[in-house]
Amino acid sequence: MAIKTIPPSRGPARTSGRDRAERKLAFRMTAPSLVIMALVAAVPIGYAIWLSLNQYSVRTAGLSRFVGLENYINALASQEWWAAFGQTFLFAGLSVSLELVLGTAMALLLNLAFKGRAVLRTVVLLPYAIITVVSAITWQTMFQPNMGLVTNVLSALGLPGGDVVWLGEHGYAMAVIVMADVWKTTPFAALIILAGLQVISAETYEAAELDGASKWQTFVNITLPLLRPAIVLAAIFRTMDALRVFDLPFVLTRGANGTESMSMLAYTQLRENRLVGEGSALSILTFLTVMVVSVIYVRFAGGNIREVAKEEQ
Amino acid sequence: MDLNRPALPLQNKAATNRKALAATAVAAALLLSACGGGAAPQGAEQAAAADPASGASASGAVNICGVKDASGIYKGTAEAFTKANGKVTAKYTEIGATTDEARTQIVQRLEGKSTECDLFVTDVIWTSEFASQGWLLDQTKLVEANKDRLIPSTVETTKYQDKYWGSPFFTNAGLIYYQKDKVAKPESWQQLYAEAAKAPGNGYVYQGKQYEGLTVNFLEMLYSAGGEVLNDQGDVKIDSKETRDVLNFMSDGLKNGSADRAVLTYNEDPARLAYESGDFGYQRNWPHVYRLLNATPLASTFGVAPLPTWEGGKASGVLGGWNLAISAHSTNQAGAVAFIDFATSPDWQKHVAMDYSQAPVNEAAYSDAAVLQKMPFATELLASVKGAKPRPISPVYPQISQAIYKNVYAVLSGTSSTEEAVQKMAEEITTAKASF
Repeated sequence: MAIKTIPPSRGPARTSGRDRAERKLAFRMTAPSLVIMALVAAVPIGYAIWLSLNQYSVRTAGLSRFVGLENYINALASQEWWAAFGQTFLFAGLSVSLELVLGTAMALLLNLAFKGRAVLRTVVLLPYAIITVVSAITWQTMFQPNMGLVTNVLSALGLPGGDVVWLGEHGYAMAVIVMADVWKTTPFAALIILAGLQVISAETYEAAELDGASKWQTFVNITLPLLRPAIVLAAIFRTMDALRVFDLPFVLTRGANGTESMSMLAYTQLRENRLVGEGSALSILTFLTVMVVSVIYVRFAGGNIREVAKEEQ
Repeated sequence: MDLNRPALPLQNKAATNRKALAATAVAAALLLSACGGGAAPQGAEQAAAADPASGASASGAVNICGVKDASGIYKGTAEAFTKANGKVTAKYTEIGATTDEARTQIVQRLEGKSTECDLFVTDVIWTSEFASQGWLLDQTKLVEANKDRLIPSTVETTKYQDKYWGSPFFTNAGLIYYQKDKVAKPESWQQLYAEAAKAPGNGYVYQGKQYEGLTVNFLEMLYSAGGEVLNDQGDVKIDSKETRDVLNFMSDGLKNGSADRAVLTYNEDPARLAYESGDFGYQRNWPHVYRLLNATPLASTFGVAPLPTWEGGKASGVLGGWNLAISAHSTNQAGAVAFIDFATSPDWQKHVAMDYSQAPVNEAAYSDAAVLQKMPFATELLASVKGAKPRPISPVYPQISQAIYKNVYAVLSGTSSTEEAVQKMAEEITTAKASF
């Protein structure tokens, strides 16, 4: 995000000579990283924007034409884009909220003092260490009709869902994708929230206990508010990731049954159809969507981070 | 997340921005120039042609590039060619683990005018796309010189704008595997579907996932019903009674139990695995499944048949397989011609079947005694290959295929009516064809 790195500033302008010299030095020292940032972030993004303003012929090599915003207008007028947009947000909303709830619960458990805690903290991270495509293939196998583990267990127990073609129906396919994502990234959310838990001082809890607060009251009135910055941070990371989801629907459904994400749409245009301009416009739109959402987070939820920090001081 | 830091004094900020901008511009210029560009428009019309006679005097090295060599056929052919030729040495380079990956790698090399590869092993559906970009050597003369040894339907897969841009190496066509102990040999699709609905264990499995394989499964029926996607002039002809008939037939099959709804999630391998469980009567799959089925308890009870006819129509199918295309940037075109001469020779085509279980592009190979021993279903396979047709030939084939499989899937999964799907298909294919 922070493409334009702002050198550390010390408040409002005070224009002394020393100040200026120091600022110059600061700029010189940050220059190498600025160049690297420009190379790895700004240049490709700028190039993608340029590509998105052109159309490249799929019939004749080397032919292209400048079309201005036409690729964007076509994308925004298409049903596919809005369907993918809605489905991606549905996926992100469902999976991130589940991950935060389960992640908080997991963090609370891991924060308890018990034997083997250090080992367990490492072990819970395992799903996160598995490559998404690999875990997606595993989930696909588990939900395979007739042969899958989940469908077999469900029908053996006489539970509903045993005879459902999970990846072949809209609601069910989305459920599998959300499940696969929650399984994989809840530990990541838990880890961030756990770090937040450990910052809350024991004295606060002692005071609550002295005041006769119940466990639930303590959790609602002390733990949760103090944990908010950590939860918001986890939410930001996870939402940005979830909005770019590609691998899970690509492996599990190939975008069938209304599970096509924004990134998948861009991939299809760019890679399969070699429509470089149209595909780039879709990638930029996805990028902008993620940007806007994260700015909103920082504006509103981020305000909380600052408030809490102020209160703590 | 330092969006809330106070901004720098205005003056300095502007200076900083200017410098940053300059640095960015320089970097951008470097990067862009490295990508090379400014290629003059160059289409299929101006492409150079391969000289069939050049193969005889060839020498040097030939590099063949393509997908991971799972069956060993590419490396095996390169070795045998090197031994037989004596002057030209061939080697095979794997440039992608999957078909999709290999296509990406090939496109990158061709766009970059790389001279690394002299020959590419190309999926039959890539030919027109690559040819339209001027990436391939025109093989018309070579194909015409070899015409009497190649099955005509396989040659058609390399045709684009009345010229041939590759030589078929080995082909592929769908087959029906069926349980002889439970169901009758399929004669027509209608009979197959009726038989499959009779008992729970008789069901038909095919590739119904939303992907290229569904396009193939659908076109096999559409072609046999007499329908088409594009006519010879390239006009969109999919909005037809035949398309509606086939779509209704397929979706009825899912409703009345001819096919299990699970096929909506199947590509080739899951379909095979489901069939291997013994719970089904019919399976549509490729020839490679024969060997795998022989290693299961079903070995003694399964039979092989060519794709059935459409009632009142004929038998048809869709050709798969791989072609040999010469790169327009090859530095050893004569060597590449010599390799193609060897790979398509009637003698080597027998090895294609015997040693690697692939479908030859030479008709005589199918009736060879040694081949029949290794590939007892060669007669059925030949029938499928000869009746089959290429998929729609167009540089925008990927878009056409998406329009087909997405809309067919929508009908099968019940989210769209046949009428709606046919109209959308026709509309999307027309739009795709209008691509710049």
